[in-house]
Amino acid sequence: MLRTSLFLISLLLSSVFCLENINEEFEEYLSIKSLRDGRVTSSFSFTTLLRDAIPRDPRTLAFDDDTSQHYTLFPLSLGQILRQYAITELHLTLNAGKWNYDTWGYPDEPDVGVGAELRAWMAGDSISSIDERWQGVRNALAGLFCASLGSLDEQRTTSPRLSFPPEGALPDWGLPHELRHASHASEHVCTENLTPFLKLLPCKSLSGLATLLNPHRIFDADWHGIGLHVLWRPEGVEVRLNVQLVFDPLRISAQGKQDWSFHSLFDRKVEKACPVASSTRVSVELPNSGVYRVYPEPQEIRDGKAYYSLKNNNEAWNIGTMWPTDFEYRICHAALSSPDPALVPFSVTRNLLGPTQDRGQLSIVLTNNQQDTLQLLYLETMPWIVQFYLHTIRVHSDNVPRDDLISNISYVLPVPHARPATFESVLTLPGRSTLTFTMDVAKAFLRYTEHPPDAQRGWDLPPAIFTPLNQSLNGSMSLGSRVYTPSLLVDLATPDFSMPYNVIIFTCSVMAFIFGSVFNVLTRKFIVVRVRPDPPRNQSVGTEKRLEDTDSDTLNELNTSKSGVH
Amino acid sequence: MMDAESRFRDPSSLFFQFDTIRRYIIASYWVLITLALPLWWTTTSIERLPLPTSEVYAQAQKKLEIPLAICVDSAFSSHITSLQRSIRDAASYLDVQAHPGQDCSQFPGYAILPGEQILVEDRKLYYPPSADNLASTLASLLAPKMDHRAAQYSPRFRLSFTLLNEDSSAGQVITSWDIQQAIARHIHPITSALGILHNYTIESQVQYHALLAFEPRSLSNGTVFGLTPEDLTIFINSAEWTLSSSSSNDPVFHFVLFIPSARRRPLTILNSDGTPSSSSAFLIPQWGGIVILNLPPPPPTTLHLDLPDLQSSFSSFSRHLLTLLGFPRLPPSISYSSSSNTSLSSWQIDTLLRQRIHENVIQSHNTLQSTVTLVSQIDGMPVDEQVQSQVQGSLSTLHELFRYASVNLTFAEMLAYSAQALTLSSKAFFHPGMLAMLYFPAEHKYAVYTPLFASAMIPLLAAALREIAAWRKERREARAVGDVREATSGDGPKVDTKSVL
Repeated sequence: MLRTSLFLISLLLSSVFCLENINEEFEEYLSIKSLRDGRVTSSFSFTTLLRDAIPRDPRTLAFDDDTSQHYTLFPLSLGQILRQYAITELHLTLNAGKWNYDTWGYPDEPDVGVGAELRAWMAGDSISSIDERWQGVRNALAGLFCASLGSLDEQRTTSPRLSFPPEGALPDWGLPHELRHASHASEHVCTENLTPFLKLLPCKSLSGLATLLNPHRIFDADWHGIGLHVLWRPEGVEVRLNVQLVFDPLRISAQGKQDWSFHSLFDRKVEKACPVASSTRVSVELPNSGVYRVYPEPQEIRDGKAYYSLKNNNEAWNIGTMWPTDFEYRICHAALSSPDPALVPFSVTRNLLGPTQDRGQLSIVLTNNQQDTLQLLYLETMPWIVQFYLHTIRVHSDNVPRDDLISNISYVLPVPHARPATFESVLTLPGRSTLTFTMDVAKAFLRYTEHPPDAQRGWDLPPAIFTPLNQSLNGSMSLGSRVYTPSLLVDLATPDFSMPYNVIIFTCSVMAFIFGSVFNVLTRKFIVVRVRPDPPRNQSVGTEKRLEDTDSDTLNELNTSKSGVH
Repeated sequence: MMDAESRFRDPSSLFFQFDTIRRYIIASYWVLITLALPLWWTTTSIERLPLPTSEVYAQAQKKLEIPLAICVDSAFSSHITSLQRSIRDAASYLDVQAHPGQDCSQFPGYAILPGEQILVEDRKLYYPPSADNLASTLASLLAPKMDHRAAQYSPRFRLSFTLLNEDSSAGQVITSWDIQQAIARHIHPITSALGILHNYTIESQVQYHALLAFEPRSLSNGTVFGLTPEDLTIFINSAEWTLSSSSSNDPVFHFVLFIPSARRRPLTILNSDGTPSSSSAFLIPQWGGIVILNLPPPPPTTLHLDLPDLQSSFSSFSRHLLTLLGFPRLPPSISYSSSSNTSLSSWQIDTLLRQRIHENVIQSHNTLQSTVTLVSQIDGMPVDEQVQSQVQGSLSTLHELFRYASVNLTFAEMLAYSAQALTLSSKAFFHPGMLAMLYFPAEHKYAVYTPLFASAMIPLLAAALREIAAWRKERREARAVGDVREATSGDGPKVDTKSVL
């Protein structure tokens, strides 16, 4: 009795999401950076911290939910979903475009895989309860964001072991935490996703930095993505909503200059501060070289970045950078001087080779841009429609077969029509070398109903993910920034979709033909029609003769029927 | 030898050319088709399990009579028949049992006792014996009319409190409120008193930009703004205000505390003749309540609303909540005294319970009847095991309720039965499986089968008709031959005679 009451008390304490006088904080931050190719990346992040809150303990799910939820800044509709499904950590990103690591460097928000990606950490004492909640949270978020996240079903859900460590902390409830990850590369982010996204912000898009989020400009950007991140730290539950954009000022500039300002990028200025934001900051990364002017005068310059606080100013903010000269592509210099140092330690290309619709080869080319040996964690979460032949894995380093460069392979077999494959391994890249990884794959033959409406377009395969493994001095491993490859398009054998009716008609014709013939043979009535008088017959005429006669009779019969027709 | 030759020559002497064999073959085709028809029918037809149609109709004819005991003090014994009649007229679902000369201490009931003034206390009514109208007072206490603004019964309601700053960037902004204390003071007494009727989930949020979809009318040179009764109907800007959420199907009562923008204060509600109304709250039936809170002009930029600030707004909200829940009001002439500090009397709670029981029973009768009618009207509607069991479950719950209602059920138990019957019946009515086949009509099925059936049936029919024709011809010939035979055998002597002649 004491134990159960203690347990209940601890449950009540732990389902805190609604403690008295929860302290909520909201911060806005925008970082803008000019890129090497003249583009400008801007990354918004809107962080709400629910101080001292703890995610819901999944053991309380069995009880009726009478606890109330009171928020002032935290989005209630999101809080309800997190509470209903007892989610500890959640990441949802909706991106469009291919992040060009080689010229843009690492993004501020690492999740830049194309399409929709959703992953959640959930505690639970049974797999089935976790899967049920995973399905529920998928559908709830699909409704909240108007995105087809419902299609992230068990055919796309994986649980990679290493690549996605929790960003925050996991509460110690004595329950195992499980990761569920799914991505859908053909999902497109659009205005209908942004509108509900903005409604989760306390100031919507009416004041503060979110004023800049002009849908006309966001979806015109070369690369755009929105993300939702929920995580727990010991100080509380944090919700971070972020928007990441890559603009091309050269495209909209008449003179070919890379000048940018809030007004030129977003067609808006920050007119009003969000009254409930505890801080509203903008940072502009200063270019390394050249003559430029950043305006207005920065309030603070630190680590090569100019910082502004937009909190206490009554006029509209229009931060920007100007260059006196036109933009010159560095590629012109490359022949003259040494090329620019690489922005990322390694670059990767991934292809699906092979012309046929039943076989192919997955090929990955990794180039190490550094002198040092690099270890990479390689993750493929492949839908079952493309099946790997692990025995055909070949690893070449600078065209020399080096099977020792791949290690720690873990593989979860796909189940046709049910489960994708998860392939994780560690690749070792010697310094300044190019590593080629190839593996034969088989392409599945789908059932008629499994094809999408635009079947001829092909299937988008989710991006592969490479994470550098950094060995620290004391020997422990830590994970670097994730690198997403672009998605692949696989061409599967597609049927002619008018086929069922053709098949029905064809089968019916054959059936009718066979039926008619058999029926005719079984029920035909043979009649002998004589057209000439019976010749006198010799008694010794043998059977053959008679048969001949029968034949001639049949002929006659035919003749008569013919003449009958005429 | 001639015989042997003709056997070859004449195909009709082959065994498979015998007429009987051929007819057997054709007949067997038809027998096969006739035998296969039921199989085809069962494999292609929709699963339609039988529903207890006649039971549903029979149940819908029944009326629940909720027993109600009144103990009438001997001072009023002359009024008993008129009391019973007036209660029955007001609410035909009540089965009033009057116990004259008792005080209802032995069994649950309502006691009517003589008193100085009209006073309700616990389940006792004190009434001055000299005053008349006891019958109508009692009827309005025990069976008042249900308010149209009340929401339909649901086992669980969500109460969603929202503080809306119209435009927080225009000046004053309220960033926090003592919502939990306000709820504890004003809402919890109601929810705990009415806890036997419903469960409640409470949530609250603050919004900082809640623009109106229209421009309020400016009065007296822009110092006062007014909302006309027409404006109130479009006050809720549901496209911009994220008030409701999709995470559950429970009905929601919204309570909105609207803080007008600093540019638009004070914002008042206008009467239909254009004069400002004294009230700053209004109710949207079955949806929720709205209170407009005009802050005083001196501008501290951020504000916290504490309990005294919320006092008047939340007392409006609590009145709204009672109305939305259908809580009956005491007639104005009756005063109320209670040992506990709640303002809700047992008379009212019991009345609400009885009304909800009655309403649920009627509602589940209607839903069951509509389900059964719908299924019988639409042939393509599948009825699976779940729907069947839900209909049966609802029906048996109703049966139990009806059987035990007059014997030994408390109001709360009766409500539980009726709520379960209602839930099951509406689950059956809204079962998604019932929609499945509506979009695949029988015509499509026939269109797919026709190429096969038409081409197979035509030769079969033709053969059958030809064979029947041949058979009839044969019979006619046989009869004719028989006639001739008969005639010849009969005529024989005649010929003889003729030849004789």
